[in-house]
Amino acid sequence: MAHYREAHPLPFVITHWVNLIAMIILILSGIYIHFPFFGGFMGIARGFHVFFGAVLIINCIVRIIGAFIVKSAPAPGTREVVRDVWTWLPQRDNRHQLWAWISYYLFLRRDHPIAAKLGVPQKIVYLLIPLLIFFTGFTGFCLWGTTASWPVFAWGLEVMGGAMKVRIIHYFCMWAFIVFMCIHVYLSLIEGASPATLIFFWKETPGLVYDPKTMNIVGFDGMGKEPDVGETFKE
Amino acid sequence: MAETTRTAQGSLAERLTANGFTRRDFLKYCGSLAVMLGLTEAMAPRVAEAIEIGETSGKLLPVIWMEGGSCSGCTEALAQTNTPDIPQLVLETISLNYSETLSAAAGHSMEQARKDTIEAGGYILVYEGAVPTVYDGNVLLVGGEKGTDSLAETAEKADAVIALGSCACDGGWMAARPNDAEAMGVQKFLEERGIGTPVVNIPCCPANPEWLVAVIVEYALMGRLPELNGKNVPVSIGNQTVHDNCPRRGHFENGEFVYRFGSAEEAKGYCLYPLGCRGPQTFTTCPITRWNRSTSWCVESGAPCIGCGNIEPMHPQRNWVDENTPFIKRHRDLSLLGFHFQPTTAALAVSGLVVAALVVHGVGMKVAGRVDGGADFEPERRWDVKHGTEDAHKAGARAAALYDELDAKGLEPKNIDRFKKIRAAKKARRAQGEEKPPANPADAPADAAPTDTAEKGGDE
Repeated sequence: MAHYREAHPLPFVITHWVNLIAMIILILSGIYIHFPFFGGFMGIARGFHVFFGAVLIINCIVRIIGAFIVKSAPAPGTREVVRDVWTWLPQRDNRHQLWAWISYYLFLRRDHPIAAKLGVPQKIVYLLIPLLIFFTGFTGFCLWGTTASWPVFAWGLEVMGGAMKVRIIHYFCMWAFIVFMCIHVYLSLIEGASPATLIFFWKETPGLVYDPKTMNIVGFDGMGKEPDVGETFKE
Repeated sequence: MAETTRTAQGSLAERLTANGFTRRDFLKYCGSLAVMLGLTEAMAPRVAEAIEIGETSGKLLPVIWMEGGSCSGCTEALAQTNTPDIPQLVLETISLNYSETLSAAAGHSMEQARKDTIEAGGYILVYEGAVPTVYDGNVLLVGGEKGTDSLAETAEKADAVIALGSCACDGGWMAARPNDAEAMGVQKFLEERGIGTPVVNIPCCPANPEWLVAVIVEYALMGRLPELNGKNVPVSIGNQTVHDNCPRRGHFENGEFVYRFGSAEEAKGYCLYPLGCRGPQTFTTCPITRWNRSTSWCVESGAPCIGCGNIEPMHPQRNWVDENTPFIKRHRDLSLLGFHFQPTTAALAVSGLVVAALVVHGVGMKVAGRVDGGADFEPERRWDVKHGTEDAHKAGARAAALYDELDAKGLEPKNIDRFKKIRAAKKARRAQGEEKPPANPADAPADAAPTDTAEKGGDE
């Protein structure tokens, strides 16, 4: 599909960058805090870890609020927009496509399912990521000396079985992020470089044009580099 | 002989002198005791006076010291000095009516002393060791009586119970996996028996005798138990971590660490964090109280904290041994299906598996010709083909016609320029080499007729 900016409006390009940077710094500083492989950075690593932990959580909240305010396209190949949250939740364009996607990934079918902005498995995983961010943040605050004695975090420590277990849970959460990143990057790149150039550099790329009404492809937008075919958004 | 008698039976002052302590030493000790009680050091004379008045009036707080599933280490921590130290002398003064290890008497007369004390009331029970409950408590018999019953009986009438040492707090290493003795701490045991006597937990393996004396003296002097935290540990002992007060904390913040015993870093007294020090998650004031007459303590003497002061009174399975072994690793071991492994091993295995799966899948996608942006689109959703509306079929037919048109024009909808160039270069190379016709209709010159119009996805 063509990748229009409406699929990822600028605010979400920014939150995606913030997510990426915060997660990488959190992972690196977290690994260092878990085991300081070389000397000299403990104070800095802990400071960065707590700071970017807060950044990640606030960014996640901003992104969620943004979903209710900002409008975005339900598929990359259209400029028609709906409230962004509708492109998160199960949407009309994705109906009956879960098995289509799974069978595509398992090489059980040859042709590419007609996609909304996200394939169904991706969408399910992305919905779980905010939960993972909040849960990891919660375990982090259970462990951080400054907040560990707050009633809600003390309760968390008690429920999860004490500091050592919470540390291990927090550590596994980091690996969950790493595994998610691997799968996320893979599934995105397997669709070509267009999704990445759009979300990182907000650059539009040519491709098929999608009509949200018929939920099918109606044209080809060459974006001036190639001839257009069928319907496009150029008047 | 006279000297021995004086040492054993004299007044506190006489016994202090006999053991080589001056009045000044005693007052100094009372000062530190006062601080532990939350008073100022200036209160030292009052504390000393109270101890002495208590002694001369003969109305001392009686203490029963029982042992359950115990190694007697906590008793030893108090008593096994080459000369008795001040806490021990003070504690003796406080009238230890029953102690399995320390009392000179033995047998039924000793048990009688316990029963008499219980009957008289107004005493404190110090309980050392875990409470083994398996086989209905028959694994521990003292004087023909089940240890669990003696504990319940003595605790019920006591003013307060002091659970001394990690085992008494939550089962300690007695409760470590597989915990065949079904050991637990005093607090949990009493709660299960419905006994409401307040419990003060004094953690560590062994417990620090100075903490014990502080609690007993506070109760004797002021008639109240110290303020307790959520785990029933006095807040003056259990509300800060070892890490908070560690003399090596500066090295931690600077990132100066010991990675190997016997290294130059160890000689410099750097932080023991990479060797599994549990200081950051262990809530005791070890670095302040210190041990053996405030001589030293674990980390000061070069050993990483092993977290023996971590207690979970209501959860014996979370005892400090299971939670912290192997001690010199940053994480405890996990157990699954009889295997014991570090969390990192498990995480690397799972992540490696996922990455390997993605690589294999990626190779598959490459072989199937999908890596340059996925396979061709289905003209109509497969579900719609069977169940869709007339409009969906129409849209599908329209999309199929569009794909044919794109093919005819040699446009490759799913790629961006870069992939196109790669493909063009490949084609050029192929044409130069063997003059073979391109296998892919999409690669064919624009005027070539598409060979596969029935179904898109001819790429594969």
